Amino acid sequence: MTVPAAPGPAPAAAPGPVLACRQWADRRADVDPLTGTVTSDPRSAAASPADDAALECALRMATAWGTHVVAVTVGPPGSEAVLREALAAGAERAVRVDAPEPGDAASVAAAIAGVAGMVGARAVLCGDMGWGRGSGAVPALVAAVLDARQALGLVDLATDPEQPGVVTGWRRLDGGRRQHLRAAAPFVASVEGGVALLRRAPLAGVLGAGQATIEVVAPAGTCPVPSWTPSSTGPGRPRTHVVDGPDPDDPVRRRVELLTGLTAERPARRVVRAEPVDAAHQLIAALADWGEWS
Amino acid sequence: MIPASAPVPVSFEDRMATVDFRVAADAHITVDGDACRGCSTRACVTACPANLFVPMADGGILFNYEQCFECGTCYLVCDTAGAITWRYPEGGHGVAFRRS
Amino acid sequence: MSAPGSLTASDNAASSDAARFDAVVVGAGPAGSAAALVLARRGHRVCLLERGPYPGSKNMYGGVVYPRILDELLPGWWEEAPVQRWVTRRATMMLTADQALTVDFRSEAWGQPPYNGATALRPDFDAWLAAKAVDAGALLVTSTTATGLLRDGPGGTVGGVTTDRPGGDLRARVVVACDGVNSFLAKEAGLYGKPDPANYTLGAKEVLALPAATIEDRFALGPGQGADFEIIGCTGDIAGGGFLYTNRDSLAVGVVLHLPALAAAGVRPEQLIAGLKAHPAVAPLVAGGELVEYSAHLIPEGGYDMMPTLTGPGMLVAGDAAAMCLAAGIWLEGVNFAIGSGMAAGESAAEALERGDVSEGGLSGYERRLRDGFVLQDHRRLRHAPHLLLSDRVQRRYPQLACDIVEDLFTVTNPEPKPGIGRLVRRRVASSGVRLRHLAADSWRALRTFG
Ligand SMILES: Cc1cc2nc3c(=O)[nH]c(=O)nc-3n(C[C@H](O)[C@H](O)[C@H](O)COP(=O)(O)OP(=O)(O)OC[C@H]3O[C@@H](n4cnc5c(N)ncnc54)[C@H](O)[C@@H]3O)c2cc1C
Ligand code: SF4
Ligand code: SF4
Repeated sequence: MTVPAAPGPAPAAAPGPVLACRQWADRRADVDPLTGTVTSDPRSAAASPADDAALECALRMATAWGTHVVAVTVGPPGSEAVLREALAAGAERAVRVDAPEPGDAASVAAAIAGVAGMVGARAVLCGDMGWGRGSGAVPALVAAVLDARQALGLVDLATDPEQPGVVTGWRRLDGGRRQHLRAAAPFVASVEGGVALLRRAPLAGVLGAGQATIEVVAPAGTCPVPSWTPSSTGPGRPRTHVVDGPDPDDPVRRRVELLTGLTAERPARRVVRAEPVDAAHQLIAALADWGEWS
Repeated sequence: MIPASAPVPVSFEDRMATVDFRVAADAHITVDGDACRGCSTRACVTACPANLFVPMADGGILFNYEQCFECGTCYLVCDTAGAITWRYPEGGHGVAFRRS
Repeated sequence: MSAPGSLTASDNAASSDAARFDAVVVGAGPAGSAAALVLARRGHRVCLLERGPYPGSKNMYGGVVYPRILDELLPGWWEEAPVQRWVTRRATMMLTADQALTVDFRSEAWGQPPYNGATALRPDFDAWLAAKAVDAGALLVTSTTATGLLRDGPGGTVGGVTTDRPGGDLRARVVVACDGVNSFLAKEAGLYGKPDPANYTLGAKEVLALPAATIEDRFALGPGQGADFEIIGCTGDIAGGGFLYTNRDSLAVGVVLHLPALAAAGVRPEQLIAGLKAHPAVAPLVAGGELVEYSAHLIPEGGYDMMPTLTGPGMLVAGDAAAMCLAAGIWLEGVNFAIGSGMAAGESAAEALERGDVSEGGLSGYERRLRDGFVLQDHRRLRHAPHLLLSDRVQRRYPQLACDIVEDLFTVTNPEPKPGIGRLVRRRVASSGVRLRHLAADSWRALRTFG
């Protein structure tokens, strides 16, 4: 199904620079199981694969539209590392919103939206998930503050040089369905990590990025994120499926066997060496054998 | 409660999970399983501190590069020419020690 | 900091000139950072190239640095170096299956400036030293692996390195290879012969977390003081040794294993560590420690006799890349030798650049410096130590013999009278299978090697 994310995309002629958001977080933070205290080490901090994918998409988008990328992060001075990576890979400007402590989604979103306004960006790209697996709400909140269209959680993203400012993509829906989206600037898009592999920065980029200027700005101040009322705060209760049990007249032993699969015959384990295509065929054949594939 | 004097047991998986590996997209070490079929020493199998060389029933070797310390032991102890192709992983990837 | 809206121009476009340096130092370990620091201080444009995401990320060792070599280069280093504990206790342990003989030395003087040795974590120490080179003006480039040499100068003179980045050629008038024990650059330059596994040992270690107070109790240390235990006789059939060091709130315990023996033994490194930790003399010291990092790395154990040619046209080799680690039994010192050789390489490269002659002849001041200093003098004097220490008698027979003799000495055999020490020793030597002739020969060799 194809759903315009908003009123029909009137091609925006000048989308301005593309803003790529990058979060700097410890990939291996230690959490004390007793106290819940989090200890993190800046040396293992990095941008998440999703943020890297977003940067790569932003770079491709900027090339297609003849514009440039501005990288932004909200964090302490150490977080400039993820901006230098972006500069090395091809971003033209980098802005850090100074925030000594990790903030909540609303204040981070307000800060990013502030930078989008400052640099005149009408296309914003984010990763859909940080290392910390936080609320995941930042991209939506940025869109709310900017009053921009949303194309969130994309598993595929495409841009057309003929239509600067327009992005198309696919995202997952429940039940294994997909939705095709099309959005014109101003928009906020977020992508999964698998969407693109960040290019290897060229040596010249790395040499230059070490000394490039990173603009530092103060946080945007109070957060104009609209307030909302949650519709439900109870636990999620997925609907149950009715599964036929074993015949109640069977002996207990038989019923336990059927329920647990304890004595069911299991295919022997096999280790196979094969070329990828052949391996895929063999996997499918095995799944079909087990009745898991039709 | 475990008495303070007991050694804290760790499985090999848990042991390797203490180490930060930034896995590169491409393997930096490849092992030619066919070359290994004629090898009688199997020196790599026990010498590799990360236990990455798995002998297979057919005489070959299954190798995983992801949790490699990049130490160099395997290419030094292996004396079958061409069995191991060894280089460093792409810069920024591979093992990253933090407390050693 | 500026408010939103105010812009500063940024320029990250690197021209090809940006990739031209006076010197490229490959490897931000102690050797490389020392070389880059010296070169940068003398006003040269230096690039310090490191393949890890931060200096020290690829480097592990036992655990004690001897930084007095920094006295001149970084006066007052002890005020700021990232030290875990100052070593005031050094012990050598000889183990048999159920005996232990320890020679234990303590010095309060080692706990005060200018100190002697300190436990430190390499990701901290190497990053600190690399930051000194950056402060002096070197450009540190991380996450970038040197993949080969550019040898397009006259007569195959090295003119830089290739890297694994697009557009990745780094040009320099001189290359200092400090790329560690596997040094592919020195091998590519033809400075090494075919690598022989007998020249290498594998070190594997566990870092075990324990509260600082527990460590101080168990090792009888004052706050901030540390202990260094070298252990022999703990590696079964494999020639090698073990170590146990105290960090601030962790212990480093590990083994060092001779590669050919490890390859033949069919025992895994972590099993040997487990055996060492279970020894009755070691178990109470490490009990309850939680594994927080496991690691492994090679040591160029062969010393003087495995060293490569140290200079080529446009190129110098320093540190482990030149096999300058001193691994001779009670000594396991590499960081100080790496810093010492790195400094000498930096000075010689700077001189050669200033004279405009980076040929092999122009760089020959390097080897002269090393011969005049501790680096090659210690190595030459101890050149036979690795061979002696990895021999079967030293590895297995002597620890057993020494423990047996001392056990006899301290076992009270009443109502029998105490036997004379001379008789005790003769009896034990006779039953140990060690020939007096060998004992005499080994003692003589030891005297000549260490004396
Ligand atoms: C188990 C063990 C215990 C030890 N115990 C001690 C001890 O207690 N005390 C002591 O003083 N010494 C000890 N040593 C020795 C000491 O660690 C080494 O001698 C010392 O680290 C050598 O320093 P280096 O700078 O020459 O090399 P390294 O420290 O190995 O540094 C080499 C650097 O080069 C980088 N590099 C390599 N190849 C490339 C490339 N192609 N491109 C870019 N970068 C590259 C690496 O990432 C690394 O950072 C021990 C060693 C081991 C393995
Ligand atoms: S890698 Fe080398 S040592 Fe290991 S099995 Fe193959 S041939 Fe033998
Ligand atoms: S380099 Fe070391 S850790 Fe990696 S596979 Fe070889 S032996 Fe194992």
